[in-house]
Amino acid sequence: MGLLTILKKMKQKEREMRLLMLGLDNAGKTTILKKFNGEDVSTISPTLGFNIKTLEHKGFKLNIWDVGGQKSLRSYWRNYFESTDGLVWVVDSADRLRLEDCRQELSALLLEERLAGATLLVFANKQDLPGALSKEQIQEALALDEIRSHHWCIIGCSAVTGNNLLAGVDWLLDDIAARIFTTD
Amino acid sequence: MDAKAECTQGIGVAGESGAFKIQERLQKRHQERAEEAERRKEAKESRSVAEEKGEYFSSTFDTERASIEELLSSCTGADRAVVTQTLEEATVKTLQLQKFLNDSMLFLTQYELRRAQDALQKLQTSSAEIREEALPKKKFAFRARSKATDKVSAPESDTPAASVSTKVAVAPAVSVQCGFSNMNNVCLTKTAEEIHKQDVLLTHLTNCKVRLFGSPSTLHMKHIDSCEILCGPVSSSVFIDHCRDSTLAIPCQQLRTHNTQDTRVYLHVTSRAIIEDCHGVSFAPFSWSYPTLKEDFIVSGLDQNRNNWSQVDDFHWLAAGTPSPNWTVIPEEDRKTNWEL
Ligand SMILES: Nc1nc2c(ncn2[C@@H]2O[C@H](COP(=O)(O)OP(=O)(O)O)[C@@H](O)[C@H]2O)c(=O)[nH]1
Ligand SMILES: [Mg+2]
Repeated sequence: MGLLTILKKMKQKEREMRLLMLGLDNAGKTTILKKFNGEDVSTISPTLGFNIKTLEHKGFKLNIWDVGGQKSLRSYWRNYFESTDGLVWVVDSADRLRLEDCRQELSALLLEERLAGATLLVFANKQDLPGALSKEQIQEALALDEIRSHHWCIIGCSAVTGNNLLAGVDWLLDDIAARIFTTD
Repeated sequence: MDAKAECTQGIGVAGESGAFKIQERLQKRHQERAEEAERRKEAKESRSVAEEKGEYFSSTFDTERASIEELLSSCTGADRAVVTQTLEEATVKTLQLQKFLNDSMLFLTQYELRRAQDALQKLQTSSAEIREEALPKKKFAFRARSKATDKVSAPESDTPAASVSTKVAVAPAVSVQCGFSNMNNVCLTKTAEEIHKQDVLLTHLTNCKVRLFGSPSTLHMKHIDSCEILCGPVSSSVFIDHCRDSTLAIPCQQLRTHNTQDTRVYLHVTSRAIIEDCHGVSFAPFSWSYPTLKEDFIVSGLDQNRNNWSQVDDFHWLAAGTPSPNWTVIPEEDRKTNWEL
């Protein structure tokens, strides 16, 4: 039995996953996390540092890390990469001015060795705003079709209405589960 | 605005389905109160534990850090083989220290966390520098790992990771967006109908007076110089970047201010305001008024009775106990009271 098999077996027992939520500041990361957990989203302050939520979903224990996206905090993102199963990249679909910044940060992230193998879910958030770009437009602007290093999927959602959050997380869990919890 | 009711997907724990019987509710509430009291007691006790843990963390962390620094400094003048081995040892130790930090995060204060993260970053930088200098050709690292990860990457993965150089033309922004751009020396107004639930963008305005009546969903401002901008209640966040010598009056849920200088903000904020890379920003409570302001507050969902205008977090100033020098409160006698055009 190889090391990888042993690791898989161990993980299988715990059925635990570590998800890392990243994206530019103001994208809606904290709001998504709280909404998903059924909490009030009207009192959320800008994140200084990070939030961690542990929740049960579909029989899995999810450890979700929501890390602040301010410019001055982005250099710390790497401190959170270790043993990440899934990366959730959150985009403010109405923030056209920073899309280029957003694309650059994401592609730099995908080069990180410690994130290799993590499944990528892109949330094109704030779809409820009239000026929001569609998920197809975001897909193009972030050049997602060029990604060869990760499994990925983009989903349009709104953290304020809760629309499609579940669909996104379900896709992510299925993809990760197929990867690390499959028995041989 | 009932956030829960809008959660149409019925996400997991969210939402209360069906009607509880009143008695059940009362009982539940009673139980919750008892639990809350218990929790408070526990919180009190655990706080002192947390402080002890914090101290333990700091001293352990500092000892480890010092030993890594020692390893690194022993590299100067050493021969290649020794440097290689020492660096490897230092890297392993740094990773362990990282792990220790990750495991301790829950009880660290922001300040301790930031300090530790900075220290780790420094260690990584200096070991990278030493490596660069002493072992210029050979690429060091746990490269072998990427073999294992190949297996789990996308099926079509015969090409290396995406190139980063593509420029993507994004659909012409400003034309479809509600707002004003590229104007000088004018008065600009939008009505409640135009503004209603829109995402509003103001860019490249100099010496303008802007009045936005009504309640937008969100408001972005970029490259604002010597303007006076007044806006009705914004239901979510206001994002400001590169603004100078201006006066703003806005109610909102969050205010995020970047690269801004010498600007006065008359603010109503229901959660928090933050500044980053700013100086000379001053705050006072929102005092602009117009006939339908109250209705617009209702539309926005903001609580008119909750205003945290004076609780500003400076993301570049985390020293515990010392207030940020980058923002101030406008003294009462200097506050603007007349907003006539
Ligand atoms: N209209 C709209 N606003 C959103 C949505 N998600 C988040 N927001 C707002 O965007 C602002 C930033 O959200 P936050 O979760 O703090 O962003 P973070 O910096 O990524 O954690 C807040 O004012 C949220 O209310 C959304 O889906 N639609
Ligand atoms: Mg946040």
